[in-house]
Amino acid sequence: MQLLWQILVNGVLLGGLYALMALGLALVWGVLRIVNLAHGAFIMLGAYVCYYLFAGLGLDPFAALPVAMLVMFTFGYLVQRGVLNLVVRAPMFDTLLITFGIDVLLTYFAQLAFTADFRAINPSYAGDNFELLGATVPLVRVAAFGVALLLTFGLWLLLMRTRVGRAIRAAAQNLVAARLYGVEPRNLYAVTFGLGTALAGAAGSLYGVVSQVSPYIGSSLTGKSFAIAIIGGLDNPLYVIVGGMVLGIVEALTALYIGPTYTDVASFGILVLVLIVRPKGLLGRTA
Amino acid sequence: MTLPVRAVIVAIVVALLAAVPSIAPAIIVQFGISALIMVTLAQSWNIIGGYTGYTAFGNSVFYGLGGYGTAVAMVQFHLPFAAGLALGAALAVVFALLLGLPVLRLRGQYFAIATLGLVGVMTAIVSNLDIAGSNSGLVLPLLKGDTLFYELALALALLTTLTVAWIARSRFGFGLIAIRENEEAAEVMGIDTTLHKVLAFMLSAVFSALAGGIHAYWITYIDPAGAFDVTLNVKMIIMVVFGGPGTVLGPVVGAVLLSAISEILAVNVTSFAGMFFGLVVVIAIVFMPRGLTDVMRRFREVGWRCFQENVRTYRV
Amino acid sequence: MAAILEVRNLTKRFQGLVAVNHLDFGLERGEILGLIGPNGSGKTTVINMISGTLEPSAGSVFFNGAPIDRLPAFRRARLGIGRTFQIMKPFPGLNVCDNVAVGALFGKAAGHQNLGAARVDAQHWLEFVELGGRADQRADALGGPDRKRLELARALAMRPELLLLDEVMSGLNPVEMEQVIGVIRRVRELGISILVIEHVMKIIRSLSDRLLVLRHGEKIAEGRPEAVLNDPQVVTAYLGRKRA
Repeated sequence: MQLLWQILVNGVLLGGLYALMALGLALVWGVLRIVNLAHGAFIMLGAYVCYYLFAGLGLDPFAALPVAMLVMFTFGYLVQRGVLNLVVRAPMFDTLLITFGIDVLLTYFAQLAFTADFRAINPSYAGDNFELLGATVPLVRVAAFGVALLLTFGLWLLLMRTRVGRAIRAAAQNLVAARLYGVEPRNLYAVTFGLGTALAGAAGSLYGVVSQVSPYIGSSLTGKSFAIAIIGGLDNPLYVIVGGMVLGIVEALTALYIGPTYTDVASFGILVLVLIVRPKGLLGRTA
Repeated sequence: MTLPVRAVIVAIVVALLAAVPSIAPAIIVQFGISALIMVTLAQSWNIIGGYTGYTAFGNSVFYGLGGYGTAVAMVQFHLPFAAGLALGAALAVVFALLLGLPVLRLRGQYFAIATLGLVGVMTAIVSNLDIAGSNSGLVLPLLKGDTLFYELALALALLTTLTVAWIARSRFGFGLIAIRENEEAAEVMGIDTTLHKVLAFMLSAVFSALAGGIHAYWITYIDPAGAFDVTLNVKMIIMVVFGGPGTVLGPVVGAVLLSAISEILAVNVTSFAGMFFGLVVVIAIVFMPRGLTDVMRRFREVGWRCFQENVRTYRV
Repeated sequence: MAAILEVRNLTKRFQGLVAVNHLDFGLERGEILGLIGPNGSGKTTVINMISGTLEPSAGSVFFNGAPIDRLPAFRRARLGIGRTFQIMKPFPGLNVCDNVAVGALFGKAAGHQNLGAARVDAQHWLEFVELGGRADQRADALGGPDRKRLELARALAMRPELLLLDEVMSGLNPVEMEQVIGVIRRVRELGISILVIEHVMKIIRSLSDRLLVLRHGEKIAEGRPEAVLNDPQVVTAYLGRKRA
């Protein structure tokens, strides 16, 4: 029983982080109709940015996080503006292939630039834990969870309450009408994608703190992000949190009752099952 | 060109190709084996992707199942190669049937993502199976000499291409094309779309699996990451899309070209080769999204502007 | 004369909106029944439920006396129900002849297992709708009126007993309309029963043996054209309040 509680706590904390990972993907998918197979690679790059800020400049990872987000935002903006904008109206299958190409490019770049060694971001308080009703909870995981929730809520605020957010939502629903209201799509699309990669960067930074980073973590994280995005649907960022929690808990339970090497079976399995049973997403609409 | 004339030409080409191992150096034979396996894979994807219009990433699963079926049969049960191939193909076909039914009901991007998910699931499951060697994989018995593999790969490539040629002129193939062009209209015109799609998926599975089996025995090794590699599936898609989807010879051209390019790149450092591959994909999609044949056709009409037009059609 | 099509209590609900409400009607073999009504009255939904594109929420559809509402669309097509679409659905990558050949290969005819024979048949139907000269053109290169002919030829190549025509006249000028009317009359001469949805009153009046008027998914009148079109309810439905 005690163990189950511990596992559940682990699952929920991980779930928050997963939700943050999926958020960028869901945003880009819902608004730009781009199925970004390179999403995991952006997460991975964000992790490396944070790592080098930490290892090279001694910045606390939570302080480095906004910087990583900024860097990834700029990078994503340029990628969209320079490359993806050129194929936005192509059939879906072309965007799948091109993002796959980007994924390959980024992964091999990372392999070249950072080597294949595993890195971990270990601030001084990395080993600190505290007790929550009998479960041992690492401090960094709670902090990561908190940041994840904060950013998710922040995105929701941005989409609902700011001019930029309204423009993004308008463009998602009806680009022609939005253009009539002065929305400039090239810039807006780039901003949206940049937001997506910024969130990926944040998720990567947090991932680097709670786990290890290598150039190859991308594909499994992309898969998980898809599963979460599909469970939660693409309408509302807050639903993605639910999706993340579900996956986090399922993975934790799988690790406990079946075996830790089966977690990928669980996450991809959920992805396939949800698609088969309810392609419209369990909670919301999918693009 | 009449049928008998075409048949004679094909026979001559095949005979020439079959003679390669006796006259060419080993390195050419090895390239030949890789290229012929790619031809088979391209054609197998052509059936479900090119003719039926369903962008599948699941061929990696069939390829992997073919390889593992062969490996497990030979290593764990000491069965002959033919039995292994049969087992691998059977596994793939059953998988295509059972999972094809629910997954082929999905539209476009969801179908693609579902098949991607299937690859992830199978990779994870197989890496947990002891009988399949878990993460370390299996080492297959060694068969000296490449000639057998070359001839087998040639025969399989020929068989697959002939099957596609049959599809192109059969009622079944017409049904697939109708589904690709407009599935709703196909339904009301009397085409049993579910049956057609699942059959196409199963056919595609058989050929991908056989290719996987041959490849596994040839390199005497299989492991989950290599067997279920999504990159391979993407290469299949690229070969077909750029050679000409829904045609008989397009995928052959695409496969040979891509194999040649891969060979050239393989000489270099892996990371750069990998990055180059990614870059090539990106550039190709931006400037040639409809494939080589389309570009060649339009180049004759409008010259370099065809690239500009491609971009203009699909940009924001 | 036996009824080739019978619809009983047919209903379709879409999340709170009742598109078709307890509809009863029949179509006699060899007759042309016109289905009219203001926009949004449910006409296309009715056709969708007969062809199998949509499942009814309640009620049944009988074809030649046998219930078909549980059958998938392709089975109904093979039994002899053909249809055209209001928003046309050609096979864009195929040429005109092959578009029609699909119908010959898979429809009720389905004796054709052979592409060659199907293409010959297709050519015949193309001539029937006066599209013979365009057999080799790509289907998406055709203009509006020719696309309509293609839809028709495709459906005919299936050798249907019942043909469902959904707004086959929209977008045509009067000359083109006359031509299509001629084709439809020739189709009837082949013994095919026809259910036609149409907006242009003059056309449907001259073409139909009987009319069925829908409004908000319900039948408000049924009978011979002169009677129906003078029915005060029908006039109100189309023109608003009856002028005193």
